[in-house]
Amino acid sequence: MSAEGLGYRIGLEIHVQLTEAGTKLFCDCKSNYRGMAPNTNVCPVCLGLPGALPVPRRRPLVLATAAALLMGCEMPTEMVFTRKHYFYPDMPKNYQITQYQGGGGAPICLGGRLRYYDPDLDVWRSVKVRRINVEEDPGRTEYEGSIQSSEYAYVDYNRSGVPLIEVVTEPDVEGPREARRLVEYLLLALDYMGATNPRLEGSFRVDANVSVEGGERVEVKNIGSTLDLERALRYEIFRQSKIISQGGKVRRETRGWDPVRKVTKPQRAKEYEEEYLYFPDPDIPTVPIKDLVAEARPLLLRTPERLMEAIVSYGVRQRRSWALVVTKPAAQLFLSSVRLGAEPRAASRLIAVDLKGLIKKFGKDPNDPSSWPGPETIARLTMLVASGEYTYDEIKYNVLPAIANDPMLDVKGVLPPKANNIDNVIDEVIMSEVKAVRDYLDGKAKALDYLVGRALRRMAGLAVDPKAVRTSLEERLARLTSGTQ
Amino acid sequence: MRPLQAHEVINEVLSGSMDLEDHVLQILERVKEKEDTIRAFIALAPESSIRARVREVREWLREGRRPRLAGLVVAVKDNISTSFLPTTAGSRILEGYVPPFDATVVRRLMEEGAIVIGKTNMDEFAMGSTTELSAYWPTRNPWDLERVPGGSSGGSAAALAYGGADLALGSDTGGSIRLPAAYTATVGLKPTYGLVSRYGLIPYANSLEQIGPMARSVRDLALLLDVISGHDPRDATTLRVPPTSTFIAKPADPRSLRVCAPPELLEASEPPVKAAITKLLGRLESEGAAVIYDRHLTTIDDALAVYYTIALAEAASNLARYDGKLYPFVRIAPTYTGTATETRSRGFGPEVKRRIIMGVTSLSEGYRDELYMAAAKGRRVIRDEVLAMSRNCLIAGSVSPVLPPRLGERITDPLKLYALDIYTVIANLSGVPSLTLPVDFYSDLPIGMQLMGPPLSEAQLISAGLLVESLTGLAGVAAP
Repeated sequence: MSAEGLGYRIGLEIHVQLTEAGTKLFCDCKSNYRGMAPNTNVCPVCLGLPGALPVPRRRPLVLATAAALLMGCEMPTEMVFTRKHYFYPDMPKNYQITQYQGGGGAPICLGGRLRYYDPDLDVWRSVKVRRINVEEDPGRTEYEGSIQSSEYAYVDYNRSGVPLIEVVTEPDVEGPREARRLVEYLLLALDYMGATNPRLEGSFRVDANVSVEGGERVEVKNIGSTLDLERALRYEIFRQSKIISQGGKVRRETRGWDPVRKVTKPQRAKEYEEEYLYFPDPDIPTVPIKDLVAEARPLLLRTPERLMEAIVSYGVRQRRSWALVVTKPAAQLFLSSVRLGAEPRAASRLIAVDLKGLIKKFGKDPNDPSSWPGPETIARLTMLVASGEYTYDEIKYNVLPAIANDPMLDVKGVLPPKANNIDNVIDEVIMSEVKAVRDYLDGKAKALDYLVGRALRRMAGLAVDPKAVRTSLEERLARLTSGTQ
Repeated sequence: MRPLQAHEVINEVLSGSMDLEDHVLQILERVKEKEDTIRAFIALAPESSIRARVREVREWLREGRRPRLAGLVVAVKDNISTSFLPTTAGSRILEGYVPPFDATVVRRLMEEGAIVIGKTNMDEFAMGSTTELSAYWPTRNPWDLERVPGGSSGGSAAALAYGGADLALGSDTGGSIRLPAAYTATVGLKPTYGLVSRYGLIPYANSLEQIGPMARSVRDLALLLDVISGHDPRDATTLRVPPTSTFIAKPADPRSLRVCAPPELLEASEPPVKAAITKLLGRLESEGAAVIYDRHLTTIDDALAVYYTIALAEAASNLARYDGKLYPFVRIAPTYTGTATETRSRGFGPEVKRRIIMGVTSLSEGYRDELYMAAAKGRRVIRDEVLAMSRNCLIAGSVSPVLPPRLGERITDPLKLYALDIYTVIANLSGVPSLTLPVDFYSDLPIGMQLMGPPLSEAQLISAGLLVESLTGLAGVAAP
């Protein structure tokens, strides 16, 4: 039996920091610690000093509730926090405040379903969500060089107490590619809710559980990007399938993903359930879910799914609408320009395909709203196309690069006069470039590029559609051929 | 001996008839005289910083401010965080730890002009009922040097009893304010759960404990309670209530007082204890109070087991953080696990280790249901019974089943030690307030009584306490 043929099951544990919550989960230190000197984003509470008490902050709880609503979760009536104990240098109290089903506790989500878009096949899929926990992130241990060579371990508690949600799926993710799309959709949805900025380093981590038919479950920990998630899953399915098809045994274990060497490495055998001594944190009274739901509901008005529906309702194809929605400022720009009268289909193409491509090409950040022009610019450009004044490609080649370069540019100043006598220019080129014309007629297709270039040069400063030039050149040359033979 | 009561001192200081420096220095003299034998303090503030603080408060008075505790000397239990004095909770593992913040109660004391004189001795992490389990030294009872002052707030009670402070703060997880009060003829209150902020209290059992006021008279205790009580945004378990105003409470009218004296809170006490309390209840009756002797607290049989199961589970969790990484005390080993193990083996005393092991057991998979979860359920049953009774009457009973034990008498057998808490744990399990005050002496040994009421009935308890004091004449009493 071939290694690839074995069935497999994939379940994910997705940890997402609520980086945009503003504060940590139980104190007023900042939820986004990036760029801060070590141990400067700390206070007695997140350092776990004895007597300092955790007081749940409202925003993280509301954002976590919004996540549960997004996934249509069954929810308990109260938000309960539970202590989970294990000794670890970067965990100040040696217990983590999290949520747990049992011992008087409950997670914020007791079961739900996440719908996500698969742009590769242009379909919606869904995965069952087993639970969602709200919890605090531990600190970070750093070393000089490697863990082996470093004389000391340095602990930075800036991250300690940052609010996290852990989304645990049932093991029914279809495959590695779907796993990646699922996580990308979840992150995007949380981004739209204002819960997280997934572009920040370390803002999410995925642990994946993979089991191949005939073997036990293996957990791959600490996957830091969606691309790595797909790679790690492919690798792990291949590795386990190979062992099993060669008659070996896959035992229950925990492995780590090495993003540099692109392999999973064994971390520890997992032969028994760890003892975490769960019990509800007596310092934190329960918080009624009802009020949180009321506060969280408005955040669900702007999920990617709803935005895509809005965009599709303008006649834009679903896949194109996704291309808009994945870049928040692009979707925003589209909707505002349509409101200003932009022709939706041209606007969607202009923004999601051509302008986005140019912005990336120029090394700018498409997620930064200031990389984009204003909606009136988009509206005006699409109206020029709709009225027949310019073709789409004339705008694309002659206007968009300038706008991508300087989004504040006035369109009027960039719009070149129309070149309205292409035919004359083409005649001139054919007559002056005798050698190239002969080469082309002899079957050297490349000569056509040269001829197009010469024609464009003659029309420098005018609005020209290079495709139109090419087409008429081809037609004229074809007529020449039929004439000579 | 009757030193001035705190509220008398305040009157004289505010009226200008007494200089607060003279008052403070007089107490410092008393401390110097008694500390060698009593050893109530783990750390005393340096005299220079006390003098500086006195000048600061005197300046406030000159500016016309009238802080409620101006110049009063307060002893603070060593598990209450102070940024200006080490805070060890009576444990080696916190030796040298100076918190970077003040407990809310300490901040409130300072705002009202109190002089914090030092940190008082206690059983390690408040785990004990005699103050003999301090990692440093046992404290002696000023009324009888061969006897314990009770625990775990034994240092605070002893300091008050010999006149080493005007007021004191203790903490009460299962009787730790009230046992010492009863053994030293002082007054102590375990407040309603959530009335006083725990922010800065080094935790032993979070769901049970409260910081509370200790004093030599009920009026003084009320003065301190009014300063430290009320909602604190830094403690999510505090109730949304303003500070109390019990200082102005009047003695209760005996004719409108109803007291329940369930036999379960009295019968098993030593004869002198039982006799003293029965006599006091009789006097209340003759003043016109209704005393009901036939209401029963049937759940008390389970109270100790329920209490210790919950307290030790929470304790095991709270004590996990002391592994040598964030606090000065550390025993370095080549690995993290080694360092944590070595630090904890050397840093914790045997009773603390025993309680951690029991706490871990009651939370472990396979035991959690029959221990921790069962105790949580039992706690609700006990609370329901106490709350139901407290709706009709104040509940009176013994504080300790025995007179103050001799040093060494109780600590060899943990079960005998834990049994001292039998009458006190029910207030913690139920969250209700409990006031302890002296009712009599038996061959020079103090005997206390406790009064419990419904949640937030502190003013009522204090009124009843003032009435009792008027009958006993023991307000302000101190050891010679």
